[in-house]
Amino acid sequence: MERKKPFWNFFTSGYLILVLLFIYLPILYVMVFSFNDSKSMVSFSGFSLRWYESMFSNRDMLDSIKNTVIIAVIATAVSTVIGTVAAIGLSKARRVIRNIILEINNLPVLNPDIVTAIGLMLLFLSLKIRRSAVTLTLAHISFCIPYVILSILPKLRQLDDNVAEAAMDLGATPWKALTRVILPQIYPAILSGALIAFSMSFDDFVISYFTAGMDVQNISMYVYSMKRFNPAVNALSAVIVIVVTMILILANLIPHLRDKKNKKEEPET
Amino acid sequence: MKKTLSVLLALALALLPLLTFSASAEEDFGGVTLNVYNWGEYIDEQVLRDFEAKYNCRVNYKNYDSNESMYTNISGGDDPWDILVPSDYMIERLIKEDRLQPLDKSIVDNLDNLTDDVKNLSFDPDNTYSVPYLWQNVGIVFDTTKIDPATVEEKGWEIFLDPSLKGHAYMYDSSRDAFMIALKTLGFSANTDKEEEIQAAYNWLLEMNTAIKPSYVTDEMIDGMAEGFKWISLGYSGDIAYILSENEDMDFCAPKQGTNIAVDAMVIPKNAGNPKLANLFIRFVTDYDAALAISTATGYCSPNAQVMAELSGPGGEYEGNAAYLPRSGNDLDEIFHDNPSLAAKLSDLWLKVMASR
Repeated sequence: MERKKPFWNFFTSGYLILVLLFIYLPILYVMVFSFNDSKSMVSFSGFSLRWYESMFSNRDMLDSIKNTVIIAVIATAVSTVIGTVAAIGLSKARRVIRNIILEINNLPVLNPDIVTAIGLMLLFLSLKIRRSAVTLTLAHISFCIPYVILSILPKLRQLDDNVAEAAMDLGATPWKALTRVILPQIYPAILSGALIAFSMSFDDFVISYFTAGMDVQNISMYVYSMKRFNPAVNALSAVIVIVVTMILILANLIPHLRDKKNKKEEPET
Repeated sequence: MKKTLSVLLALALALLPLLTFSASAEEDFGGVTLNVYNWGEYIDEQVLRDFEAKYNCRVNYKNYDSNESMYTNISGGDDPWDILVPSDYMIERLIKEDRLQPLDKSIVDNLDNLTDDVKNLSFDPDNTYSVPYLWQNVGIVFDTTKIDPATVEEKGWEIFLDPSLKGHAYMYDSSRDAFMIALKTLGFSANTDKEEEIQAAYNWLLEMNTAIKPSYVTDEMIDGMAEGFKWISLGYSGDIAYILSENEDMDFCAPKQGTNIAVDAMVIPKNAGNPKLANLFIRFVTDYDAALAISTATGYCSPNAQVMAELSGPGGEYEGNAAYLPRSGNDLDEIFHDNPSLAAKLSDLWLKVMASR
């Protein structure tokens, strides 16, 4: 085997570091500046917690965060269930039907948000449905579903078709075959679909803006409509990053810990 | 697992229509909700809390980032907003389209508080529909360590043709503001729709483009100038008042050729859910205490004469701040009028200016 040249090593790792910096530097920057004690976005004049204080005393901002989280959780849960069921159904469907449905599924993904947004607004208006938190949630569910399907389908293709049949041959009801055999195997894909759905819903602005009506506002709408930058947004971003990081760590640790626990129990069974 | 999942799902579905999210939780007095739609970061929140306490109601306060996006969102007509705060030309359009209701002057009885400069303006001659919320003009903010104030004073908008500023200027990426300064420099009205005048302004902008190679930005100029990244910029006096309070090297000039005066005013849409409370809100905000708090927090000039005098006077928050008080008495200063076809034409030409960089 040919040994890699040191230059090549340096180049690949240097490149990797550059990419990582490019992705994480802005996030670090925001977190550092959330502790700035002046309004400046470019010069750090001293440490303070004033923007955290101002964030937690700003009712509109807190309401927007609450709305964002509630909507994202509901939209994720509903779209994940619908998307998973749809993907499983599609994987068993005839090729022609599957391809047609997949094209239809891809359309909202490729379609610019603004078209979807105005379309949904006009739909609600023409049906005389008053725009509210409910229409907003429905809109979020509808644009999240395609991402869930796209994330789960490839995993389903890798499955051996016969496994479910084998389970049923061995006496499992179809429901059991689904929950005990298919779902555990595609679980990582469902999880990543749900995470995509969550982040799509969490930071959506355009569609939310046109489907929300007046009694609800999410955090993107709040930030986007600011006439002047309020550094409390830095504090908010820092909190979000930390929460998301913790969720990701937990999501990765829990299956790991469970495996360990299972392995310990194995010798006994 | 199966049971919990279905129970959870059923619960979620059942709760969906009931969720009112931010609304209603604290309505323990059954106080009604007043829906206020205003620019983002354009108020002192305490004003809303005081209003709630005083009238035992709840203020649902939401934001927009431009007159146009506000207009798109309310034009569906399904939301009974009680208060909007559009700018002058947008109010003109809303009145023309019969979307506003007249104010109840028996409730809004304190218009005497307002300075004469913002009363009875052309878009609403008797303040039948609107009461000014904050106002400002467009001007030049510049670094006095780099540019002599006397030069800016003497040249006015012409200074944007000075090649020595090449690479040191910000320009607003906004057809409305850019054409305003071009038309004003050439001695025309900012509301002109004469073809040859617009063409002349277009050529002026092309010339400005090659002369100073400005960085085209929007609100980034606020922090940029506060940090001293550039020497000179076009800006709104309210934003510049903030820049001046952050960086004492900066100064403000309202050019002698005339400029745009912008007034954001409170109006009540026809389909407002609670007109009486809306009228009370307008009176509350126009009174001294709320007006003082709002103007102090934002740096934009209050239409309340007493607040204006106090904030710009001795010991006031904006004492000696050249940008706080919009200029009055220059006959060349104008308010924008609503003219959608002109706006479309200017924005097409502006694209060409931007493409010629």
